[in-house]
Amino acid sequence: MRFSEKVAFLVTERRGLMWSAVVLIAISSVGILLAFLRLDTEVLDLLPRGFDSVEGLKIYNSEFAQTRELTFALLCQPEDVDKLEEFAPKFVEKLRAQPWCVRVLAGSPMETPDGVRDLQRIALPLLLNLEPEDFDRALSLLQPQKIQERLAQLRGEMESGSPRPEIELTLDPLGLITPSLKPFAGNAAMETDQPLTSPDSTMRIFPTVTNQPSISAFDCQKLMKQVNAFRVSARDGWDGGKLEVLITGRSAYVAEISLSMRHDIIATVLSSIALVGAVFFIGFRRWLPLLGMGFALLLCCLIGLAAGLLIFHCLNMVTVGFCAILVGLGVDFAILIYGRYQQARNEGDAHRVAVADAVHSLGRAVFFGALTTAVGFLALVLSNSSGFIQLGVLIAIGISAAGLLMTTVFFLFVPRRNVPLRSDWILGSVKNYVHRMLGRPRSILAISAPILIALLIIAVVPQIPLTFEANARSLEPKNSRAGTALSLIMQKMPVRWEPVLGIVRASNEQQLHDSWKAISQHWAELQHAAKIKSFSTPNALALSPREMERNRQKLASINFDAARAALENALTQNRFNPGAFASAFELLNQLQAAAAPDYKIPSWRTQLPPGSVWWFLVERYFAQDSLTTTGFVTTNAPVATQEQKNVLARELPVAGIPITLSGWSYTLTDLVPWSHRQLLLISALMAVFDASLLAILYRDLRLWLVQVITLALAVAAMIASMKLLHVPLNLLNVLAFRLVLAIGVDYGIYVLLVWQRSHDVARDLTGVVKPVALAGLTAIAGFGSLGWAHNPTLSGLGIACAIGLFWSLAATIFFTLPAAVAVKPKLPQEHFTKAELEHA
Amino acid sequence: MRKIITIICLVALLAIGVRAAPLSPADVKTLLEHIREKRAAAPSMQADFQEQRKVHLLDEPINSSGKIWFQAPNKFRVERKGNAPSITVSDGQQLWIYYPNFKSAEHYSLARRSPLDAAISAITTALNLENVEHTFHIAGEKAERGYDLELTPRNPSMKRIFQKLLLHMSDDLFAERTDMLQPNGDQIVTTYQNPNHAAIPASQFEFTPPPGTEVSTPLGK
Repeated sequence: MRFSEKVAFLVTERRGLMWSAVVLIAISSVGILLAFLRLDTEVLDLLPRGFDSVEGLKIYNSEFAQTRELTFALLCQPEDVDKLEEFAPKFVEKLRAQPWCVRVLAGSPMETPDGVRDLQRIALPLLLNLEPEDFDRALSLLQPQKIQERLAQLRGEMESGSPRPEIELTLDPLGLITPSLKPFAGNAAMETDQPLTSPDSTMRIFPTVTNQPSISAFDCQKLMKQVNAFRVSARDGWDGGKLEVLITGRSAYVAEISLSMRHDIIATVLSSIALVGAVFFIGFRRWLPLLGMGFALLLCCLIGLAAGLLIFHCLNMVTVGFCAILVGLGVDFAILIYGRYQQARNEGDAHRVAVADAVHSLGRAVFFGALTTAVGFLALVLSNSSGFIQLGVLIAIGISAAGLLMTTVFFLFVPRRNVPLRSDWILGSVKNYVHRMLGRPRSILAISAPILIALLIIAVVPQIPLTFEANARSLEPKNSRAGTALSLIMQKMPVRWEPVLGIVRASNEQQLHDSWKAISQHWAELQHAAKIKSFSTPNALALSPREMERNRQKLASINFDAARAALENALTQNRFNPGAFASAFELLNQLQAAAAPDYKIPSWRTQLPPGSVWWFLVERYFAQDSLTTTGFVTTNAPVATQEQKNVLARELPVAGIPITLSGWSYTLTDLVPWSHRQLLLISALMAVFDASLLAILYRDLRLWLVQVITLALAVAAMIASMKLLHVPLNLLNVLAFRLVLAIGVDYGIYVLLVWQRSHDVARDLTGVVKPVALAGLTAIAGFGSLGWAHNPTLSGLGIACAIGLFWSLAATIFFTLPAAVAVKPKLPQEHFTKAELEHA
Repeated sequence: MRKIITIICLVALLAIGVRAAPLSPADVKTLLEHIREKRAAAPSMQADFQEQRKVHLLDEPINSSGKIWFQAPNKFRVERKGNAPSITVSDGQQLWIYYPNFKSAEHYSLARRSPLDAAISAITTALNLENVEHTFHIAGEKAERGYDLELTPRNPSMKRIFQKLLLHMSDDLFAERTDMLQPNGDQIVTTYQNPNHAAIPASQFEFTPPPGTEVSTPLGK
């Protein structure tokens, strides 16, 4: 008994057994899903592995405090600027009162007495951390004569009307703090560096640290639910015109993305099923086989997801596109098989015989179709992106399951009784076309070939560019509130461009200090040479146990009693108010205590109160693990080209110090070659695989050439359409090219195998062209439905694939077939008779 | 007893009679309009001044005197005399303070939230009064000679600079005395004398440090 007959026997005579197997598979798959389902919402997992910049971005995204930071912004109308200034403190007060709020940065810390006091608290460890010569210079200010000279001069300057002495004496009465806080002082210009008020004063920014327990999607959703409730009441007390409360940040994005996954799943699956179902029903006017196809596809999805979970343990959000793609692909097999089955029934075959005939005739084509598609998607393994690797593997599993289930389980839903269609206009149109094509193939080629060649020229000419988006916005969800908020903030604020991050991990404090010291010196040289615009590092905050111990020992040589007496005398002589100089005496006491041999130097981290706004600055540099740090380099221009990125990669590192360069702009620029490699190299590899497979399959040079040319023209037409329709490529939808190659080659296989092996070409071609056309339309609908997804990665991929599949289908029907007929004509008696055509 | 009550009432009436009459909001508005007209007609002013600064860092106030040149809206030159002379010059964007005794000069770029805002606001607000009603709550009263205005900042950024500015204006609506109270308790009282509204050459608001001057930029560039 042949395989096809065995299948026919099982699905017609052993239905109970088949149903038992189906139920077993379904229960197992559902069980695995319920037991192990875990979703990964990390958008960075879509980026490829093996890139330092990507790894750096992941470290920065997960280990630094910015992961728990939300940015609130108030945006008012220009006429309400004064009202906004009056309202802002009330808003901050309400914000601070929220249970999820830890800290709010409402202005420069230097503007508040608390900010100045906090700075004085951490002076001692930072002073002891100075370089030896700087420390010696600072300590020389404690000589009694210098104390008196300095205060006398400052007093004189105050009398002259200078505001500087007042500022200096308030912050640093002894003159010791300023040198130790130089980096803070530089960065205290936070307002200049990262302004909190827009130049037109219509927007105010409030960076806020939250107490979100983890950075998981569910915790982000939970936090944002509370934050959005606060947003509703945040305007209470505002009496001006329109006031927008904008919120952005990682948690806002993750909450939106994870919630949009639900929308994406429902929207893409439902629209895919509806579109595919509509095409199938229009083609065959049958409900039960449509139900069977849906059931088989659902089972394929379950099998794919269950197998995926067992392999990967956690599914990335991009795999939500899996079901829609699988529906679009798997339906091809059902349509092909059912089309052939129905043709056999219409010709008088019994149910079991028709099943065997369909499986026998198209089983080989379905097998090779599933193989090429599975390999096409498996090629995503080469993308290095864990999200796309999962997608590729899941679809490869799913499509293999679809190939098997559509040739077996699907027939459980096909009724034994056959009611012939009264009229089939699709089949009639196909018959007419096939007749004309077989009779005058060159007349069809005369239309299709110039169109395809014109599109090829458009695809090739550089004058019409294909947009390539290599920025973070191309990966943001559509209509994202967090994205819109960020975009508005970026518009309003004169923010310099995003800096390049330099991440340094050390094994101990001394190594961290030495690393940043060397890097800071090197970056200062680069800045001096105008190779970079500016930089900031945690150099001063990275303590050196060695320097601190050495400096501490030096304190023993200071006569603190004399210094204290000199300070008291200078205050009296210059008629300063001693009460206003309490912090100076306190610092002298601390330094004297630090000079004791058994003194343990306190960490500045323990000296800084948890609520201090200075943490905003500290946490820019330090991760939760204090040995993981980052510095920032502002480049002379935004990082947008490979050349810029390569120069930075060459110039910024210091020999012998491992540093990871990252940042969104830097990373995306870094990934452009990867993306191009995806587009060219891996697609080329796929093409070689397909070409080899076709050569083995056809063993006919002319047919092989016809299909290879068809594939090339279809891909060129896809590129030309994307150019003309201004559909941009992004880092991820370049993967569409290989998917189109994988699927497009199937259409060629279906029709050319029939053309090559049929003894009744007209009948068999008609029998296959109709299902191929329907299958193509369903695949286009399936991929096109991804356009509904909020996730731009998915929607971009879906739209690009839908365009590519349209051209693959059109090229197969209007170019492959007539070309095959033209280069390898069959005998005339194999064509339609006039009577047959009239009957149709 | 009746006599005593009558005497008390008479004394009270006398006291009320000599007290300045408060201005209604409409009166204040009208007054500000008049001031604006005056400024438009005479945008320049030069005068002698005396200043007393009470600074929380010092046990005793600092007294200084000198001459001021002002051009609406924000150009000024202040020359202090005495033991600690200085020249302060601002063209609205830059501010120079030159200390002849120390042969040094400080150069500031004026931006929002500069620590110099208090000193500058005291001068520009008192001498200009352009659009002050947008930035301050203003109460006023008619004094025996001239007007007294009390300016209280509306918004937090101004509140950071000063809590209250008392301004006495002459009958011809030019500042005669200002009293500024800062949030940290510091107080600056300035009196202006011998005002003159003749045009002031632009060069008066420009400054080039003399050769050999040590120039510093305390707040960076």
